[in-house]
Amino acid sequence: MNFRKLQLANQRKTFELLFGMGLLVGVVVYAALTYFGKTGVGIVPFAVGIALISVWGSYWASDTIVLTMTGAKEIQESDNPKLFDLIQEVCIASGLKMPKVAIVEDSAPNAFATGRNPDKALIAFTTGILDVMDREELQGVIAHELSHVANRDTLVSAVAATTAGAIAILSDFLTRMMWFGGGRRDDRESNQNPLALVFSLVILILAPLAAMLLRSAISRRREALADATAVAFTRNPAGLRRALEVLAADNTVVAQRSTAVAHIWIESPLDGTSVSKLFSTHPPIAERIATLRKMEANPESY
Amino acid sequence: MSTTLIVLAVIAVLVLVGIAGYNRLIRLNVSVDEAFAQIEVQLKRRSDLIPNLVETVKGYAAHEKSTFDAVVAARAKSTSASSVADVAAADGAMTNALRGLLAVAEAYPDLKASANFLSLQDELSTTENKVSFARQFYNDNVRSLNSAVKTFPSNLFANLAKVSARVFYEVEDPADRKAPNVKF
Repeated sequence: MNFRKLQLANQRKTFELLFGMGLLVGVVVYAALTYFGKTGVGIVPFAVGIALISVWGSYWASDTIVLTMTGAKEIQESDNPKLFDLIQEVCIASGLKMPKVAIVEDSAPNAFATGRNPDKALIAFTTGILDVMDREELQGVIAHELSHVANRDTLVSAVAATTAGAIAILSDFLTRMMWFGGGRRDDRESNQNPLALVFSLVILILAPLAAMLLRSAISRRREALADATAVAFTRNPAGLRRALEVLAADNTVVAQRSTAVAHIWIESPLDGTSVSKLFSTHPPIAERIATLRKMEANPESY
Repeated sequence: MSTTLIVLAVIAVLVLVGIAGYNRLIRLNVSVDEAFAQIEVQLKRRSDLIPNLVETVKGYAAHEKSTFDAVVAARAKSTSASSVADVAAADGAMTNALRGLLAVAEAYPDLKASANFLSLQDELSTTENKVSFARQFYNDNVRSLNSAVKTFPSNLFANLAKVSARVFYEVEDPADRKAPNVKF
């Protein structure tokens, strides 16, 4: 398995998952149509509108918003010339512009990337990660973060969040309408087949859950893709692998555990054991290490 | 009537595919140029470090004349190179000469301990990394361009776009060959 194949596989998988989300929207609209007739469908633009406004605002200003949410402070080259050298190296390897750099005062080792496009990119490191990692490990981490920038993962996750959000709002609206018995009675356009009614009811209730699962699956794919792209940049799977081992061995977590920004860190800041694997935003770290080891074992592959 | 429409639609699609293919080739060709310019920028940076480095080492090891001469000669050669092959050859010579210089420095503990030398060495090592990443990025771009020039349908526009396959940047350096990975 070389990194080019891994990149392609993960890109294809993301595409399939996004397609699945689109399909899910279609199914929900169909269920709404079956159950409520036209009134139900009238709500769709509202749900999509609300989701769009709430997600795209934060997508557009992601570099500044995430700074405040994580307490990261932007730094200049003179503050940490060695870190900037390392980042410049990976920028040259990837052909990306130099991103903004920020530091989070936190002893837990972690890092993240954000920004709506490569020109607005920002990568941040906790003081902890700069302390515990050597040059090569840090280079792997930087390559992973810049891979998120190169792969436009802020955009991908915004698209996933919008769709999941729209589905959640839609289902919430419609189940409430159902509760209060509104809409249905006089509507002759809605389907009267009881089986179809029960079926669409189940769809409306389960859709938000399914959307959440798809969203997490997309996030996991993008992490795996970023690992593969990082190897494409540095041609050094060992650096990132050792960095992940450091992260795995360390059991401190970043102090602020806001779930809203959990997906952007290189290592999930949420306590992995309490969250089921299906809802996790990151693939299990052991699995990521194993994939990198496989690449190391076969130097011809990169 | 409808046959004309279909024919027109097919022609429109073909034209669009053609424009996209043409533009892609031009873009790939430009990125190869940019990547090469990046190599030159980094080589220049490295070459700017040399006078200082040589002076510092001379202060402790003045009699290692042949090593200094090799570095200075490599530097002079690199300024005149312009084609990819020439630049790569000069780059390889310089990489080797610098390695020789650092090996000499190993024998002088005072030199190795001096703050000036340490900071130069740090700067040299990051520049060396930047040079090698720039080479890698250039070769990745050449790989994409060459495969576009050779595969269908983009190969149809290569002549029109005046784009042809480019040469890889290959540095003759025995140490660059991948050593077998032995782990215990």
